Amino acid sequence: MEIIGKVSRGSKMDQVYITKNRVGFSIGNYVVVRPLEKQKPIDKLHFYGVKELEPLKLEIVHEVMRIINKFPNNYKNVFVMGSFLDEGFYFNDIDVIIVTESKINQEPIKKDIKKKTGIKAHIINLSNNEFMRGLETDPLYQMMLSRCVAKKRFIYKTKQNLDYKLLDLHLFKSKALTDNFDVLSGSEKYDLVRNMIAINLYLEKNKISNESVNKEIKKSLGVGAQKIKQNMIGKKDFLNRYKLIYNRTFTKILNGIENGAKQK
Amino acid sequence: MAQNRNKIIELFIGNISNAIVHEILERAVSKELIAGKYRKELIISFEIAKRYREKINPVNRPLPDKDAGYIKEKIVSRVKAELMIRISKGYKNIDLSLVDGLVDKSLKDTKIKL
Repeated sequence: MEIIGKVSRGSKMDQVYITKNRVGFSIGNYVVVRPLEKQKPIDKLHFYGVKELEPLKLEIVHEVMRIINKFPNNYKNVFVMGSFLDEGFYFNDIDVIIVTESKINQEPIKKDIKKKTGIKAHIINLSNNEFMRGLETDPLYQMMLSRCVAKKRFIYKTKQNLDYKLLDLHLFKSKALTDNFDVLSGSEKYDLVRNMIAINLYLEKNKISNESVNKEIKKSLGVGAQKIKQNMIGKKDFLNRYKLIYNRTFTKILNGIENGAKQK
Repeated sequence: MAQNRNKIIELFIGNISNAIVHEILERAVSKELIAGKYRKELIISFEIAKRYREKINPVNRPLPDKDAGYIKEKIVSRVKAELMIRISKGYKNIDLSLVDGLVDKSLKDTKIKL
């Protein structure tokens, strides 16, 4: 004898109502309650630069993929990336890139992810061309994708396309740190530092990954990423080094713009 | 106290100037910027400027004309200087005629002037 019921919300406890006219299930009997819908298995995920992921986070990634799959679209690929994949539970949200040729309505997906995992999702919807162009021109983007979980296998090999004007625009954001050291939080400082260092490495045609950027931060600024995030850095020495790197990077970009203009 | 206010005004000017330079540069590379939309926005100068504005009295009313005029003049000159560095290196498509309008808009948005 099986009865199908629906879980209803209660004030103190939720419950499953069953009809009074039934065979079996006498008052006082113990029963097993389990979900009727079996979770659809997700195809094997592909891990890039992620050596280890806590089982709980892995389950969340699967859940996110399942939710996205529920909304029909011709997905080219789906990526989960960002601080969610870092060790520990210090993330604020989960970053998701959905590559598809048509626009998707992000709101129901975000809402469902929030409802089922309790985590806010930051979703970006890109066409394949936009995705490839991003990988070619934006070091920060390359860094993010060097550590990700992808729904489908993808070949992380793109030619580097130095667009100095775009790099100038991206670098300019990091200027805010020099004037506003005292009012910025640790994570805001880290974002600005990371942006600048990633651009600097990119200009030197170095590999951009989370590790390489953090290593370079430590080497060139004399302070680790964790200390910056915790806002535990000495202002004077840090800013001196920071300004030096900023100016050096800016000069390289200006020279690139100048050479580009001469060639035209 | 007055000195502190002046310092906050200077920081406000610096951040608003950066925000405007950023906007003009963004317009100059608009075609290439398709790829930019996936960038999670970094803390932007305009947001920081708003934090400083909240510390400049009067907070909810426009500043006296003299102060507003001084702030506008400084922002225009800073923005132009920053853009001129790029123009001198051959950067094309930078539209200096946008500066005045964007400065006015920012000052209205932050209730520096009416």
